[in-house]
Amino acid sequence: MSTDRSRRGERAGRLVRLRRDRTLLLMTVPAVALLLVFNYVPLFGIVTAFQYYDPLIGVRYSDWAGLEQFRRLLDDPVFWQALKNTLYLSFVQLILFFPVPIALALLLNTVVSERIRNLFQSVVYLPHFFSWVLTITVFQQMLGGAGMLNQFLRDHSIGTWDIMTDPDTFALLVTSQAVWKEAGWGIIVFLAALSAINSEMYEAAAADGAGRWRRMWHITLPGLRGVIVLMLVLRLGNALSVGFEQFLIQRAAVGHDAADVLDTFAFYYGIATNDYSYGAAAGLFKSVISLLLIWGANKLAHAFGEDGLYRR
Amino acid sequence: MTEEPSRRTFVGKAAAVAGSVALAPVLSACGGGGGKQTGSNTRAGLKAALPAYVPSTSLRPDIPSVSGAPDAATDPAFLRYPAERPVTVSGVPGRGGSYTAVTPLWGTVPPPGNSFYRAMNKALGVDLTIKPADGNNYATIVPTMTAAKRLPDWIQLPTWWNANFNLGRLAGTQLADLTPYLSGDKVRRYPNLAAIPTGAWQAGAWGDKLYGLPGGSTRFSIAGTVFHRRDILESRGITADDVTSADDMMNLGKELTDARRGVWAFDQVWTYLFSFWDVPPTWRIVDGELVHKFELPQFLEALDWHHRLAKAGYMHPDALANTPSDTRFYSGKVLIVGGGTGAWNLADHQSGTAADKNYRRGAFNIFAADGKSRPSTFMGASTSIVSYLNARLKPAQIEELLAVADYLAAPYGSREYTMVNYGVEGVHHTMVDGVPTATEDGKKFVQPTTYGFLVQPSSVISNQGADVVTRDFAAFQAANVKALYKPVFWNMNIGMPQDISTALAAQSVDDAVNDCTRGKKKVSEVRAAIDGWRSGSGERLKRWMTENVLDKYGTGQ
Repeated sequence: MSTDRSRRGERAGRLVRLRRDRTLLLMTVPAVALLLVFNYVPLFGIVTAFQYYDPLIGVRYSDWAGLEQFRRLLDDPVFWQALKNTLYLSFVQLILFFPVPIALALLLNTVVSERIRNLFQSVVYLPHFFSWVLTITVFQQMLGGAGMLNQFLRDHSIGTWDIMTDPDTFALLVTSQAVWKEAGWGIIVFLAALSAINSEMYEAAAADGAGRWRRMWHITLPGLRGVIVLMLVLRLGNALSVGFEQFLIQRAAVGHDAADVLDTFAFYYGIATNDYSYGAAAGLFKSVISLLLIWGANKLAHAFGEDGLYRR
Repeated sequence: MTEEPSRRTFVGKAAAVAGSVALAPVLSACGGGGGKQTGSNTRAGLKAALPAYVPSTSLRPDIPSVSGAPDAATDPAFLRYPAERPVTVSGVPGRGGSYTAVTPLWGTVPPPGNSFYRAMNKALGVDLTIKPADGNNYATIVPTMTAAKRLPDWIQLPTWWNANFNLGRLAGTQLADLTPYLSGDKVRRYPNLAAIPTGAWQAGAWGDKLYGLPGGSTRFSIAGTVFHRRDILESRGITADDVTSADDMMNLGKELTDARRGVWAFDQVWTYLFSFWDVPPTWRIVDGELVHKFELPQFLEALDWHHRLAKAGYMHPDALANTPSDTRFYSGKVLIVGGGTGAWNLADHQSGTAADKNYRRGAFNIFAADGKSRPSTFMGASTSIVSYLNARLKPAQIEELLAVADYLAAPYGSREYTMVNYGVEGVHHTMVDGVPTATEDGKKFVQPTTYGFLVQPSSVISNQGADVVTRDFAAFQAANVKALYKPVFWNMNIGMPQDISTALAAQSVDDAVNDCTRGKKKVSEVRAAIDGWRSGSGERLKRWMTENVLDKYGTGQ
């Protein structure tokens, strides 16, 4: 009897909430529709990875391949090379790229003058709005074999180093391009987290005689921890997406052995040669691994008592 | 980083692809057996389907065409724009029908419904809505239209994308069969279409039926050539015609490179130079058997030379990084570049002389790499620009559009040609010293490729206001027309199943070759990639080509 009542009460409560929040809910409808149409409906395209898909006769009539495309994939040395490159680049970016926006945000947080702060912020945001073509052109002009650096070296009879076409240092090159282009933009979320830290805590700590480093260690960083962990979880989930355009453009310069990542592999060995199902299989492989990674990272975050992607 | 090819670049650019075979996956018949179709043409069937050839005699070129090897001839050249512009179409071709046409465009899309489109519609007597689509994405735009079976009434499908578009299968299902309207003497109803040479019609013929309307035609179709800065070479006392072997070419690289001054001799040339080692576009017949170019020792020799060129430091570092070459060439930072012959035009001359008033583009004559054999290079297809009508159109509508096509195919210098290429006199162009010169409206609205990409008369060389370009290009063609040869499967349309076209694309070898020509991979590594490809897909490809094409249809020569 009592459970019955409580259930009725729950239902009534839900109705009340629905009525109360209907405007907000209505406002989310377009976003949900967008998500459905562009993110969920296309998921049905996954079926092509299990077919010999032929666009002219469509998904319904294409021959069934079962797991044949995946078998081909696992037998393909080029695929393994692309996977290896992806993981390596992802690792390098994690080590060298991930901490940069945090450090920049902390640095920015210590700047008192608002004018300098705004100027700094604008300068580091700007490259985010450049296209990859432009970014890489700038790097080519500076570091390329005929660029400023090498022309200077040549003028002074010092040995030249064409950084833009060196496959051995390609991972460092693309990471520095990513830092230059995106690190500034990446600080936004950390700045937001910093502004959420109660300033009274700093004042109290300062009154108790805590120095700048102590305050950072005991107040700022713990305040940022949740966001850092969240970003790390997202980054790990995206470990197999290191970028597409950046590699597409520079693939010829350093050679495909160094520059092929899973996304460019799916493009060149799938779409570009009309082998759609093969490309779809490579894409699906990537998605499944990414899902596992994000799930694992989220578990780990929870184990450390953080929120991760959602609160438990 | 994309190239923006001009209308005529296509002929050269596409030749590399179209020279051998036009590929389109065909539906492999269910249940096996002998039911597989390739969409190819039989000799007799093709002969019955092709239109008669009735050359136009309305204008006399300043530099007439010269014949060379079989089926090869230079394009006629005009130094002056004809003062008297003959009328080749009497009355208005259309009867007021309403149609939509889609063409690829590399450039700025003119605003819809502009004064040029309106004037054209009036002249054509139809309501033709032209919808230019971004050329760089064209290969992905069209498959979505064909998958949804929603092609426009009239569409241009460049032949180098035949495989992407599945052309062999679109023909007859989504594209209209024009054989009943144009084959044999029926084409005489449309005199300007009848003046398009037979070879170009062949590019649009599938399964012994005629589907395509040619957008231009040339009998001097090569994959491209190796250009040089003639003004700079000559100022240093170098005559390009003296370069007659690969060794000469390498020595020139040494002589011209001066890295300290920021000058390197070479940009990328592989695509345009490898044929000088007697390498075919794809196939060759040796002792009655098909041999792929990857299997030929001279392919590896050519590769070795290019690898050494990159390693020797004679190539511009930005070329090794694969960035576009135009500015380097104009500014004299590189002196030798490869490219389609379409680059030899008025716009190039204007850009070049803007950067350096002495600018003059030249090209090396075709030579044999060893300096001893007979110089030769393979010919590409007679056209790579082909447009098609929608299969849903009624016969009367097809006839109306063919009449419109006849107007668009009017020969160089005619009244109709002037309208299609320069718009209305006084509005879109004015005559300055006998040369149609675009007005502001003309620059904005008149893109010669909008209508020209549907149908065009056969190519002429004409660069009004830059006689030097016309003369140089005509002289180059005349000097080299004897070196052209028809490769195996020349001008044949071959549709193939998906896995065979993937095998032909040989992406892994292609990647290795590109890396090798930029000094990133050794020739031995390319050989390993070739061995890997050959043992799997390469052998399958060769067997398929032998059984389905060579044994059934011959070599097309």
